[in-house]
Amino acid sequence: MRTFLRHALLALLASVWLLPILWLVLTSFGVDEGPNITRFFPEEYTLSHYAELLRPDSISSFPTWFVNTLIVAVFTCVISTAFVLMTAYAMSFLRFRFRRGLMNMAVILNLFPGFLGMIAVYFILREAGLTNSLTGLIIVYSAGASVDYLIAKGFFDTVSPSLREAAWVEGANEWVVFTRIILPLSKPIVVYTVISSFLYPWMDFVYASLIMSSGVASDKTVALGLFSLVDKVNRNRYFARFCAGGVVVSVPISVLFIIMQRFYVEGITTGAVKG
Amino acid sequence: MSRLHPAKEGAFLAFWRMLRRSLLWGADSILHGHWIKGLLLFSAQAALLSGIILTFPSLMKLPSLGTVPAERIWDPITRRNVWNDYDNSFLILLFGVTGIALIILFVVLCLRRGKASRPPSSLREDAARLLGPDFHKTMLLLPVTGVVLVMVIPLAVMILIAFTNYDRAHLVPTNLLSWISLSNFKQLTDLASGGAFAYAFPRVLGWTLTWAVTATLSCYIGGTLLAMLINRRSTRWKPFWRTCFMAAMAVPQFVSLLLMRNLFADVGIVNTLLKGWGVTDWLYRIGAIPTAGHIPFLTHPGWARGMILAINLWVGIPWQMLVATGVLLNIPRELTEAARIDGAGALQVFRRITLPYLLHITGPSLISGMVTNINNFNVIWLLTRDIYVTTDQQMAAAGATEVDLLVTWLYRLTQDQSNYKMASVIGILVFAVCSAITLTAFTRLTRDGKEAAFR
Repeated sequence: MRTFLRHALLALLASVWLLPILWLVLTSFGVDEGPNITRFFPEEYTLSHYAELLRPDSISSFPTWFVNTLIVAVFTCVISTAFVLMTAYAMSFLRFRFRRGLMNMAVILNLFPGFLGMIAVYFILREAGLTNSLTGLIIVYSAGASVDYLIAKGFFDTVSPSLREAAWVEGANEWVVFTRIILPLSKPIVVYTVISSFLYPWMDFVYASLIMSSGVASDKTVALGLFSLVDKVNRNRYFARFCAGGVVVSVPISVLFIIMQRFYVEGITTGAVKG
Repeated sequence: MSRLHPAKEGAFLAFWRMLRRSLLWGADSILHGHWIKGLLLFSAQAALLSGIILTFPSLMKLPSLGTVPAERIWDPITRRNVWNDYDNSFLILLFGVTGIALIILFVVLCLRRGKASRPPSSLREDAARLLGPDFHKTMLLLPVTGVVLVMVIPLAVMILIAFTNYDRAHLVPTNLLSWISLSNFKQLTDLASGGAFAYAFPRVLGWTLTWAVTATLSCYIGGTLLAMLINRRSTRWKPFWRTCFMAAMAVPQFVSLLLMRNLFADVGIVNTLLKGWGVTDWLYRIGAIPTAGHIPFLTHPGWARGMILAINLWVGIPWQMLVATGVLLNIPRELTEAARIDGAGALQVFRRITLPYLLHITGPSLISGMVTNINNFNVIWLLTRDIYVTTDQQMAAAGATEVDLLVTWLYRLTQDQSNYKMASVIGILVFAVCSAITLTAFTRLTRDGKEAAFR
């Protein structure tokens, strides 16, 4: 009985979480161009909004937005993941003179609103001619990523240090220990870091709006572009196209999630020297 | 006497060697036959010194922030009006700060090289050290450099701007900035003269703190409970449930939040449905909504704040579930099983093992989550931008609204009003308000004794 109630609760919660997504999908296939305010299910279904999405006009230029964001996300993902994991590993396993100082420094930096420093970064990038460029955006997203190392460090703290000692006996150097022993054992946190840093450029709106401020449709990322489709002026003509774009963006990301989730569960349950 | 006393000569030689090591990088390495390393060190020193020389003029202009205003002058050669060789106050700030950083770096490196007593090592030995006892340097060089370049130096520049008059009336490069000491800060406390900033600041701050605490705790508790619910042994189709919630996370926030804002718009589908079911009229009768006809989900101060917190749960719980699942799966099975064999009930296992373990691992993330939420831009911005309009004249005069966090206020000040000096002041105050609380909590959580507790 309790098990049944638990499953009922889960089903209820899952439907709360899935209903908005269902509405997104339904609207993207519905005939209305603007948001449908009277009925949840559209009267008729069509694929035309997806076709329109692939045909750029002066306001909507989805294929370019997608490619822009993908490029930025791939580079950001690689650089940020490396930075975060390296920093977390150093802070968790290694003992050195400025460790405590650097950790406090990271906390202090995180206490400042990130946007404050970004204003200055924007002016600097403008002087260097890197505003409205993907390079500038990649720099903004990834260069400072390592201050968010704490979650990864928390995980590394649960990995037994005896593994490293065992590896030293075998004659491995620190780099080999890091890449061949600790990282494979830490798949969940590696996956978490990869997911979150890859998603960042897709999710971010504020830094993109600061760096890519030209207003030209082809300079936008997906977030900026889709936002422009639902502003006051465009909403009634482009809302369904916005939904179609949202679906198109979410599909590859969801697939990625499900692949990564498999790693995620397997990663830790397979045996390792713990505790 | 033509020769120095041997002991004195030894001291003199040691001093000379120290001087040579610290000021003439690479000389020692070359004397010991390590040519490549010597040249590398030498070029490093040359690069550092030329950086200092290049930024030095800006450093000298820091006290005045420049004296030559920008103007167009007639160039007889090209027969055109061209910009003169003006001072750019912002670049003076930037290069001045960079120059100071380079000088500090140079002095520190010189002192450290001077102190070293062992003979210079070869590149091969250095490489071995970088993969052994000095591995932290290998790991941290690039991450720390990145942080210094895009966070530390820009932040230093922005902090300095809080003490200048950088606003809409003084824009770089057409105007020169000047130092105005603390008068920007005084605007925030100056209630007597009816200043809008003094009116808006405590209100925005209060909502920011309420939001940060409520949003962080609700997502943390909700996500952890959800993870435990899904991970119970008797729960079936675990991957399916997880996928359901992760699907919500997979939709980028700007899509889901912009969607939400249309769902809950004054003329939106939720309002239509609720009105059809009679909920809206009922709410109006009991006085929960100010106007008949629609529920002001995102347009009334109280409702908007509540909705923002509720929608944030939708966004935040799947993330926390993902993190908590990872930690829960990582709890040593032996611990919980041993406790069960010893006769501990499910509740006791949770209280004595699961909870402390969870808090130990995710405690730091709870604190950093709170700071992240204080600086959380997306949720508020995407839900209320262009929709929520304040009716409070004084808030509007300061460029703020009732649903603004300090950080969205900061954004408005820079993007809508070009008021960089006040934005910078607010940024500094965000820092000041949370740093005291956070640092105490942080040092308590990461004390080394505790780090070792679960090993």
